[in-house]
Amino acid sequence: MDELLSVFVTESHEQLAALEAALLQLETAPDDVDTLNAIFRAAHTIKGGAGVIECGYIVSFTHVVENVLDQLRNGDIRLGTDLVAVLLACSDHIGLLLGELEAGHATPADLLLADGDALLARLQGNGLGLDASPVHSAVPVDVLESLGGETAEPDCWHISLRFEPHVLRNGMDPLSFLRYLATLGTIVHMETLADAMPSADAMDAEACYLGFEIRFASCADKAAIEGVFDFVRDDCTLHILPPHSRLADYIDLIQALPEDVMRLGEILVRVGAITQAELDDGLLAQQTPAADGVPATTIPLGEILQQQQVVRPELVEAAVAKQGQVHDKKAAEARLIRIQADKLDRLIDLVGELVIASSSVGLLASRTGRSELLEAASLMTRLVESTRDSALQLRMVQVGDTFSRFNRIVRDVSKELGKDIELVIAGGETELDKSVVEKIGDPLIHLVRNAIDHGIESTAQRIAVGKPARGRLELNAFHDSGSIVLEVSDDGGGLNRDKIVAKAVERSLIQSGQNLSEAEIDNLIFEPGFSTADQVSNLSGRGVGMDVVKRNIQSLRGRVDVSSSPGAGTRFSIRLPLTMAIIDGFLVGAGRVSYVIPLDMVVECLELPPQTTDNHYLNLRGEVLPFIRLRELFDLPGQRPLRENVVVVRAGSQKAGIVVDQLQGEFQTVIKPLGQLFRSLRGIGGSTILGSGEVALILDVPSLIQQIIQQEACSVASQFQISTP
Amino acid sequence: MSQATALTRRDASAADAVEAEAGAKQYLTFTLNAQLFAVGILNIKEIIEYHQLTEIPLMPAFIHGVINLRGAVVPVIDLSARFGAKPTAIGRRTCIVIVEMHHRVDGADIQQDIGILVDSVNEVLEIPADEIEPAPAFGATIRADFIFGMGKVAGRFVIILDLDRVLSIDEMGQIAALSHDEKG
Repeated sequence: MDELLSVFVTESHEQLAALEAALLQLETAPDDVDTLNAIFRAAHTIKGGAGVIECGYIVSFTHVVENVLDQLRNGDIRLGTDLVAVLLACSDHIGLLLGELEAGHATPADLLLADGDALLARLQGNGLGLDASPVHSAVPVDVLESLGGETAEPDCWHISLRFEPHVLRNGMDPLSFLRYLATLGTIVHMETLADAMPSADAMDAEACYLGFEIRFASCADKAAIEGVFDFVRDDCTLHILPPHSRLADYIDLIQALPEDVMRLGEILVRVGAITQAELDDGLLAQQTPAADGVPATTIPLGEILQQQQVVRPELVEAAVAKQGQVHDKKAAEARLIRIQADKLDRLIDLVGELVIASSSVGLLASRTGRSELLEAASLMTRLVESTRDSALQLRMVQVGDTFSRFNRIVRDVSKELGKDIELVIAGGETELDKSVVEKIGDPLIHLVRNAIDHGIESTAQRIAVGKPARGRLELNAFHDSGSIVLEVSDDGGGLNRDKIVAKAVERSLIQSGQNLSEAEIDNLIFEPGFSTADQVSNLSGRGVGMDVVKRNIQSLRGRVDVSSSPGAGTRFSIRLPLTMAIIDGFLVGAGRVSYVIPLDMVVECLELPPQTTDNHYLNLRGEVLPFIRLRELFDLPGQRPLRENVVVVRAGSQKAGIVVDQLQGEFQTVIKPLGQLFRSLRGIGGSTILGSGEVALILDVPSLIQQIIQQEACSVASQFQISTP
Repeated sequence: MSQATALTRRDASAADAVEAEAGAKQYLTFTLNAQLFAVGILNIKEIIEYHQLTEIPLMPAFIHGVINLRGAVVPVIDLSARFGAKPTAIGRRTCIVIVEMHHRVDGADIQQDIGILVDSVNEVLEIPADEIEPAPAFGATIRADFIFGMGKVAGRFVIILDLDRVLSIDEMGQIAALSHDEKG
């Protein structure tokens, strides 16, 4: 039961996400039937699932929402921005209800219930005179007989039902279907037809001779009503006329049914589907053209057959379509398997151990020098590599799901601030490790909110400076040299550097009169306790933000940069490692310790040319390449060897050299975090275990390059060399 | 395991009371700079022979390095340096005692194994609670808050260490950050 529940909750959250996305889409294209259907399906699936796990409060709430959606679908009401807002709120509310369910509460908190009622009231207050009675208050079956006097409702279905005689023998109880029907809506009036009943002595007690004419008020769609009779589809004749059917349809129906025309007409009048006058007119009109040619008596029969023929293919088609849907769904389910994340993590851990073990086998095999053993070991290494790649692939998810959440955020925040902003998403198919995706959401939300609040100007301001009235916010993701880059850019006013400097001086982050480059000024916004907004809104501007963003990203071994041009916009780019688990590395040695440089960042290796000066840059085919000695940077004991090697690395647009003692070749690196104790360590991103069992340290190349560039700037500024940053 | 950490805590928590009633607790004794120390046995996972470890650059002297403990990277603390004395000289009997520590990061309880470098391990002793004196305010060679109590064993005093203090990840991390800044 618990498993069922958790599956329901997970799936419903997915459905909600789909629902929300579709709603937002619908806002821009209100007439898109497919989107509307998608929304309806999502709501319906949630309701259905909630019914299965017997969660009454979700069923009743979702039911009302579904009713409104159905009316939208039928074109009874129009979709406006207000309605979308309410529906979005409803989808949030369903999310909250799911949370309650997950927490194991039998009934949601009173406050939540009150919220729900308020939302439903808003839904109904939207000028949609709909029957919003939730499922559980549907009229019980035993009051059906007394409902005859009730005034006809405007949107009543008409259902004609004739059970075959053998239905009881097949184990079906007609009454249970009527009871079930009553859960979908209200049976306004029902007439029982006992015309087929033979005289008492010819009657078989095990046969069913009854037929029903039902006036049925419901917001369910035809498929849902038909669905009620799924089990007896073969054992009954079913005609369903939608609300507001044309009179002719009723006449056709009367013709199609086996009973006497006049008797049926009377019944329909009694049921309230049509009036007596309408019936008379209709029957007359029907007979007039018939009198022209063929004898009148044969036409009804012909029409009956024709009618039956027309109805049948439709039913068959519907059934086929329905079967097709079920089939598609099953196939899709077969392609996707739900796996608990910790099982996956365990697998990845094991694969990591396997990689270490196999490199150790490889090392030992090469020591023996036996060729068969070497061959077998290299085959195993190759297989382990493929296993590693496939295992890691399991954890990769597309970043698009994270991005699409922002449609809603941008919509809500820009509405709140009265700005008109368009969100453009690119690179949603870029894949990223799931653990990274989970943690990057919050920093991204912060950047997006900031861009809307501070970045993009108000519409009036924009028009005044000659920009398009509609602001533009871009989310972009792409791969770049072993990292993934996420960009948030806006076309707003850009960073106000004067204001930043003034604020930084005020907060004594810098000294007044200090000379800073533009990039340095821009990066001041990441300092703790910094905010340039003149007014603190409830969205941002409390000065607790950018530094948290920066810290969160750093904890993912990533970094964030900002670039801005006044008047044209600001761009934040977040650079993250692709995976948190295993990478291809390049092993180098310095002193007694081995270091790993992520292979994606290595451009080339060369021997360090003999140095004539003490400068920390060299001539790389005419290019000035700043470099740093790992020995000096890490203060390693011992003498520099006579021959040193340079590994040229690249991160983003920056290139630099790292000088090491030896080059040891490629190495599959299983990243082991160094832990809290070493959290202050800059330049080292983690550790790994070599085939020999020794621990090697993984270099954090972007931060090293940063240090190299800073050092270069320092060495230019001052006369003496600084060996460490 | 939370009980294990509670046991080494100075405050008289319920667990301590229970233990005190039970009477004796077991301690591992070891020598360091010719002095006898003891730690509660519940935190100890294993004792391994010293082998070459990987030094981490730019760290204070008491962070000796990291070792590979069956696939996990475990930091090794030089206790002697941590107590402010000279770094441990590696000898034939030098051992690494692996202890399991718990600390909280952002509200989550994180378990971390830490190795401590000792000159030699001696034995496992039972020290009755009434044989443990409170730490002296001064006079000991190490910081008073590192001492859980002074156990009396065969007429000698054994310094029972408060490992939560000695191996406080927070404190050591801060010192590491400071020394990093100084060098950097």
